[in-house]
This record gives sequence, C-alpha cells and structure tokens, in this order.
Amino acid sequence: MVTPDLSVPIGGLTLKNPVISASGTFGYGLEFAPFYDISRLGAIVVKGLSLAPTAGNPPGRIVETAAGMLNAIGLQNIGVERFVADVVPRLDDAGAVYVANIYGKTADEYEQVAERLSAVPSLAAIEVNASCPNVKEGGMAFGATAEGIAGLTGRVRKRTRKPLWVKLSPNVGDIAGIAAAAEGAGADAVSLINTIVGMAVDHRTRRPRLANVTGGLSGPAIKPVALRMVWEVCRKVRIPVIGIGGIQTAADALEFLLVGAAAVQVGTANFRNPRACVEIVDGIARFLAEERIGSVAAYRGTLAT
Amino acid sequence: MPHSGMRFVTGHIVRNEGRGGIFYRIEASIPEPVAFVPGQFAMVSGWPGNDPLLPRPLALFRSGGTRGKGTVEFVYKVVGRGTALLSGMHPGDPLAMTLPLGRGFDLDRDGRVYWLVGGGVGFSTVFPAAAALGRRRAEFEMFLGARTREELPPREWTPGESAPGRIHACTDDGTSGYFGRVTDAVRERLATVSAEDAGRLAILACGPAEMLREIASLAASRGAEAQVALENHMACGFGVCWGCVVAVREGDRTAYRRVCREGPVFDAREVVW
Repeated sequence: MVTPDLSVPIGGLTLKNPVISASGTFGYGLEFAPFYDISRLGAIVVKGLSLAPTAGNPPGRIVETAAGMLNAIGLQNIGVERFVADVVPRLDDAGAVYVANIYGKTADEYEQVAERLSAVPSLAAIEVNASCPNVKEGGMAFGATAEGIAGLTGRVRKRTRKPLWVKLSPNVGDIAGIAAAAEGAGADAVSLINTIVGMAVDHRTRRPRLANVTGGLSGPAIKPVALRMVWEVCRKVRIPVIGIGGIQTAADALEFLLVGAAAVQVGTANFRNPRACVEIVDGIARFLAEERIGSVAAYRGTLAT
Repeated sequence: MPHSGMRFVTGHIVRNEGRGGIFYRIEASIPEPVAFVPGQFAMVSGWPGNDPLLPRPLALFRSGGTRGKGTVEFVYKVVGRGTALLSGMHPGDPLAMTLPLGRGFDLDRDGRVYWLVGGGVGFSTVFPAAAALGRRRAEFEMFLGARTREELPPREWTPGESAPGRIHACTDDGTSGYFGRVTDAVRERLATVSAEDAGRLAILACGPAEMLREIASLAASRGAEAQVALENHMACGFGVCWGCVVAVREGDRTAYRRVCREGPVFDAREVVW
C-alpha cells in the first residue's frame, strides 16, 4: 500500500498532518507526553494565554450534557511570560510544533501578547481567540461583528510576522461574513468553531449548573453545526479554514476535510481519550491508503453536491 | 514490578458484581500491573456511544497481577447515567481507563496515629489506605458512615479483618453500630484523646462535602492533621480541562487548584470551605 502524503499547507506553514489539538483541551501540550510522542501531531494549540496570569471563573465550571459538555473555565492560565520561560523550552525539547492561542481584555493586550510571542523563534503561529464566550471583556466582544474582528485582526497583524490564525465564534448571524472580515484584515487562516453558548439548570434546586450561568457547548453534539459553518466559510474565503467542533474520530475529521477544511482541531475528544489526536492521525492515513488516495490534498474539498 | 506511570489503557471486565443493589465492585484486566497510592483514582468509561460523553472518576480500590497481566478494581455506587451504564456491563466487555491519577494520601511520616473516615461510598477511597496501613502494622482506627445498615460497606470488602485497626460503623438511623452521623462519632472519640495524642493524629477522610468540612473543623479544633479526598465533576482527570478546580488558600491569597492534579487529597486547612 502507498503511504499517503498527509502534509497540509496552512498560510505559510506546512504541517506534517492535518490534525491539531484545540486550545483549552490540551493544556500546554506537555501533559500529553506520557500518552504519546506529541511531535507526531500536525500542531498543538496551547491553552489561551493572556498578558498576566488569569485566575479563571469560580467553580462549578463544567457540566455534562447530552453527547457534549458545557464549560465556563474563564481562561485560567499561567500568563505569557511564564509560558515563554517555563513551557517553550520543554515543547522545543519534545520537538512539538506549537501555536499560541492568545486572549486579551482589550485590543492593546492582544497586541502586547502577540508582540511578546513573536520573539519566540520556535512558535509556529498565533491563534487569536476572538470567541471565548466565558469572559466578560475581550473574546466575544471582538468576535461578534465583522467590524470587531477586522479591527482586532488588523491590530494584531501589525505586531507580528508569525502566521496569524483567527478563531471564530459560532454565536453570530453571518459567520462567512466575519471570516471574510478576518481575511481582509490580514489573517493567514481562520479556525472555527469555538463553543456554542448554552446553559444548564437544575429543576429541583432551581439553580444554574454553572457558576457563570452560561457556558460553551462542545463535543459531538455540536458537530453538525460546526460542519455547516466550516462548509459555508470554505466557500467564501481563500485562506485556509481549520475545522473544529465535535471531532472524535478519523471519520469525523475526514468529513471536515471533505467540505473544504485544510486541517482540523480536536478538542473535547482529548478528555475522553487522551490518545484521540494521534489515533485520528493514524486513522486518516489508514483511510487514504485503503482508498488509494495519495494525499490529504487530493481528498480535501471533494464533496459532491 | 507494577509501575505508577500514568497511562491510557483498554482493559476487559473480569467481574462486575452488585451488593444489595447499592454498591458495585468491578474488576478489569489490564496489560501491565499498576502501582498506586491510596486516594489516587482512574477515569473510567466503556459504554458504547457518546452519551454520556465523559469518563467517570473512580477511586483505585485494588490492583494486582504480574508482568504482562495486571488487574485493577473499583467500587462504585450508581448515582447517574454513567454509573448505571457501567453497572450493566458484563465480563469480557472493554473498559477504557486513564490511571493512576492525582495525588493520594500521605501515609509516610513516622509516629502518626491514623483515623480513616469514609462517608457513603467514600469508603472506596479510604479502604486502600486501611489496607496499606494494615500491611505495615501501623496504628489506625476506621469510622464508616451510612444512612442505614444496608448502605454500610459489605463486610467482606473491609480490608484486613485481622489488622490492628478498630472499625466504628455508624448509621444515621441507628440500624447498625453507632446511632448518629459519622462526624458525631469522630467528635466523641476525639474528646477522649489527650492533647498530645491529638497532635500525632492524621485524619484521612472521603465522603460528602458537608462531612469533610466538619472533619476539617474538628481536626483543626484539636490541632490534628486532616487530609481530605475531594470529589468534583471532571472532564479529563489529568489536568488539562481545568474544570474541577477548588479554591485553596495559599499564604494570604486564594487560588483555584485542580482536584484531579493537585488533589484529590488536600490538606484540610488549605481548602476554602
């Protein structure tokens, strides 16, 4: 059997395969080293980094829902300086390709984090989190409109030469329009979808199940929504689209590639199966080999409609 | 030699037996034996499909085996859909497990007297500590609390009947043993202990949050140490989702620490109750 070429170009970067771990579900990457060689992934997107360490939301932070889960973590993280000092050298030692997801309360803060990270030679790309539903400032405030996303993307673009990915929220009316705004402002790729805002309540105690009341829905429950949005965006923009949302298996990942995604991110599946990402890499290779398809590029975007 | 390295394995159920329709004991074969510290846990799943999506945290109850052929056991109570599905699984069915996880009880210091307190299914976390203490002939007493007689742990699951430990069974309704809450029994027993002996005491507890809070304040009132094994909803169990945090005192400030990683066992004085 031929060995298929799994490599994918993502805005100036070539990844060895299209499987990327999603921010917020993979820690800082090193946590998965006991389970497999993390350099086998196309890339790792680390947990959202802010300028200063962030304490996050009070508990309860998560609740399980039908075929999914809601989270309201609130971007608890160690801050960009500690990431650069403590984590980067260890990611380098592990040979990992890593991307920093960044977050700020203001556009200024996004700029400062981006600028700081631009000085890190081994950093592969920056992913702008313009879509976290669980923080009051920043996040969604920028991601909700085309003007907001264009403004933020443009400002970060001026501060970095690293490939720039913009992670989009599904909690909008016209996601393709917002993706186009990111493209117009200089994004090298868009990644979507972030979580869908939802809530869960207890009918007996009459209380919300999350301290934050609302949270972000993820897991297989959101896959059809994600797939539709990725398909729409792929038809609208020229830059690569990274598909995210409920991917648990190689078949799920292939579905996103089929509708036009250049790569995928795997998130919540990492919680249930710490080896999910690497199993998806192997599963994609096996499928392409069995089907005698030479490369991911030959399969991508071949949906017959 | 069994090793204590964290791993994700698919094992197979050897037995999965209920006792009185309340507690279940499940044993699975795994590729290599696992060594664990009492108080550590595993994330366990195996039911088909995506609902429920997440594995369930279960205390590691017992492990054994030889090279190339390990076994691991858990005790659980059916409390929701995940554990209900688990209770319906059969010998031969696959069981996915990430283990061993978290930080267990500190049983190492010399000169301590141990009191183990298990409320409800919390006995599944303290029995392994009793077994470890029994093996090395350490001095301990065990307090077990349940609402009623049927909800006390089955006698044959109690580790080391011949061990030097004393067992105080307590029921809220007085149907067996001490008539009252397990924390009342601990309070009364604590009143009989000299200040010097209280200072050598390490109370290890697992159970409902309210019970743990009371154990923490009882221990503090006599200058005794208390180690509490906390529970929380978890998505991953190995420190990456940040969903299971608890507020912990660090100097003059508080911080959110992960029950799955910095815990599940915490020094009771650090926990913000």
